[in-house]
Amino acid sequence: MPEIFDSPTEWQAQYESVWLAHYEANGAIDWSLYPRPRNQEAVGGPGIPLAESRLLFVTSAGAYLPAAQEPFAAENDLGDYGIRTIPSNTPLAEIAFAHTHYPHDAVNADPQVLLPLRHLESLRDEGVIGELAPAFVSFMGYQPDVPRVVAETAPRVVAFAKEAAVRAALLVPA
Amino acid sequence: MGLLSRALELAGIASVVTSWLGSVTRLTKPPRATFTRLQRGATLGQPGDAAQQLRVLRATLALLEQDAPLAPITLAEE
Repeated sequence: MPEIFDSPTEWQAQYESVWLAHYEANGAIDWSLYPRPRNQEAVGGPGIPLAESRLLFVTSAGAYLPAAQEPFAAENDLGDYGIRTIPSNTPLAEIAFAHTHYPHDAVNADPQVLLPLRHLESLRDEGVIGELAPAFVSFMGYQPDVPRVVAETAPRVVAFAKEAAVRAALLVPA
Repeated sequence: MGLLSRALELAGIASVVTSWLGSVTRLTKPPRATFTRLQRGATLGQPGDAAQQLRVLRATLALLEQDAPLAPITLAEE
């Protein structure tokens, strides 16, 4: 049976004994020491008729609503594993980005390079997508502790997707 | 994002990811993916280029119609 992450025990040992130990000893991150998560086994499932389906949009750009929500802990070297949900029809100008690990010049010039909310509405109106979930999911994609992503972030995203009764999800990293 | 894509698929929700860093995303074996040569911070296209952003979106969303796992599709977008 495939898992979200095939080898958490081996990964955790490498992460703690090498990457995290270096960070704790030096107060600085050395990405050359970071164990990239790998899976051996693919996961699968049936395709869906998109024109008849409800779609959830998921972003790791650190988007949040500054008027109503706390920003992500963008400066935390050990990451932030929480999520925010934001109404899909929110004006783009009302959304800010708490994430210090990608350049913000492109998203500041045109938020749809990461947050295609108006494009998705156009595709829905065109009939390509059946409907959009009332809200989208945002998290801050700087999350070095992979088992925490599996144990904390993933269940939150899946629970929201189930609550929103979606059949499909589009994930756009930053 | 590859891991979250797997989490959603395993929960019965068809999922697809697009990435400008296919070499890393590929390692996680997401169920469906498009890879581009776009830049960090501009995953769907150049700022102001709505046509490019929509091309990436359409090509990526189209994969949801197909059964997974699929081999990642490389898009000629940069």
